[in-house]
Amino acid sequence: MIQFYYAYQPIIDFFLLSVGFGYSQQIALRAGVFSIATAGFAAIGAYTVAILVTKSGFPIAASVVLGMVIAGVGGLLLSLPLARLRGAFQAIATLAFVQIVISLLLYAEDFTGGALGVTGIPRVMNTGILLVIVAVVMYVMWSIGRTGLGRIFDALRQEESVAASLGVNIGRYHALAFILSGAVGGLFGGLQSLYVFQIEPHNFGFAFMVNVLTVVILGGRTTLLGPIMGAAIMAILPELARPLAEYRPAVNGVILILVITFLPNGVGDEIVFWFRRRRHAAAAANRAQAKEAKDAVTSS
Amino acid sequence: MPSLHLEGVSKHFGGLKAVDDITMVVPPGEITGLIGPNGAGKSTVVNMISGVLSLTHGDIRLDGTSIATDRSDIVARRGVSRTFQNIRLLPEATVLENVLIGFHRREHAGVVANLLGLPAALREDRAFRERAHSLLDRFGLDEYADTEAGNLAYGHQRRVEMARAIASEPDIVLLDEPVAGMNDVESDELATIFRELANSGMGLLLIEHNVGFVTRLCKQVYVLDSGRMIASGDPHEVTRDPKVVAAYIGTSKH
Repeated sequence: MIQFYYAYQPIIDFFLLSVGFGYSQQIALRAGVFSIATAGFAAIGAYTVAILVTKSGFPIAASVVLGMVIAGVGGLLLSLPLARLRGAFQAIATLAFVQIVISLLLYAEDFTGGALGVTGIPRVMNTGILLVIVAVVMYVMWSIGRTGLGRIFDALRQEESVAASLGVNIGRYHALAFILSGAVGGLFGGLQSLYVFQIEPHNFGFAFMVNVLTVVILGGRTTLLGPIMGAAIMAILPELARPLAEYRPAVNGVILILVITFLPNGVGDEIVFWFRRRRHAAAAANRAQAKEAKDAVTSS
Repeated sequence: MPSLHLEGVSKHFGGLKAVDDITMVVPPGEITGLIGPNGAGKSTVVNMISGVLSLTHGDIRLDGTSIATDRSDIVARRGVSRTFQNIRLLPEATVLENVLIGFHRREHAGVVANLLGLPAALREDRAFRERAHSLLDRFGLDEYADTEAGNLAYGHQRRVEMARAIASEPDIVLLDEPVAGMNDVESDELATIFRELANSGMGLLLIEHNVGFVTRLCKQVYVLDSGRMIASGDPHEVTRDPKVVAAYIGTSKH
């Protein structure tokens, strides 16, 4: 076990960070907002932590929290113009948001180090801390799923007009989804910068965006298991396909196409749905049996 | 219990007067009918009341307060609920979950309680689940509680929509063609439920094609034709009104 851990520790840590970014992505998609803003939130969190820790000697934990808060506020601000857009237009607007964040990081050179980024960030993150933080975020996601909030997000995704007709303030709940997406994205951005010594704007560019989206598309956009399965596939696959290392983007592409075609809900969601259907079928059978027994009693 | 007043309400789409200067009342504890041939403007009226469409002229008041310019979620939170002529369910959600959304107006646990899964939020959720089950039972749907709503038969889907609309116990319910496509037995069952709802104090506005169904249930009926109110009053008299007969089956004069 210990040996396994040492051999695969970087993969496990990469997996845990991906799970975190996956939840940030998932919550926006769950609420029906086609957002790819997670990369921008992650950049905000990562730079907040990197700058505060290296330049002002700010306590590490406090700077992570601050990065999370700033990214959450960024999510709130972003949700305001997005409220007027739908579908692909939202995707384009969130893409523009990521571009703006990256441009600002490049231009504010005195502050952010420009294209060279920030170096000398203390590497204090380890698997244990990441695991605890992922567990906390999972608990919040789980709570959303089992209270009224998850239902509202699901309703917004499936049929906005119905949600409105039942009193759901669409703008308010989209904003909430974005605050959460921003806070979680910023949190894991901050954790990432405490893991990699050095960050630069290009870490949060197109490749990052595609990776985070892929985690959720492979895994699933509504269940807790979704990002875990998605991140696991993304982490393990390159190891299994080492002989094909040169073709990694191509392998990723093929797998993405296969999953979208045959498991459109994502691997994690499909597994959860399968168990759910089984449970519901069993419950229905029980009810039918109980009804039969009752009818037999009344007729005799 | 508040009543709903429409005062001189009009909706113009460019030169087309979809609804032209209509005045009507939906009192509490009664079933009020709104009938008229296809294209008369019935659904436009529902969409204006529920805040989906804006008014060109006139005012809509609930319990004396104007709701004419309110957004649809605000109208719903004030206590006016509706169903849709073309059924709108959450297709991926189960029947139970569809009804649970209907309780949104009654949710008091805050966002933080929901995010942290605090006991207050969980207690509230459990209470809503119980009430949702008893509502489904009332509509004869409880055995489908865990079925995905998109997989239900048409008549059942309509009933899920109605259960959802009344879940939060609104003051006024707008039912847009609730018995369309149902057989006599099914529509009789619904008629019973509608009467019970009215007896409990709700004001129901029944938008229907089926004149017989409206005549049996309503105390007061309004008849729309080409956006204008051509008759109103006691359903038995109204349905004998030559203007109404002409609107429905064409005039005998040449």
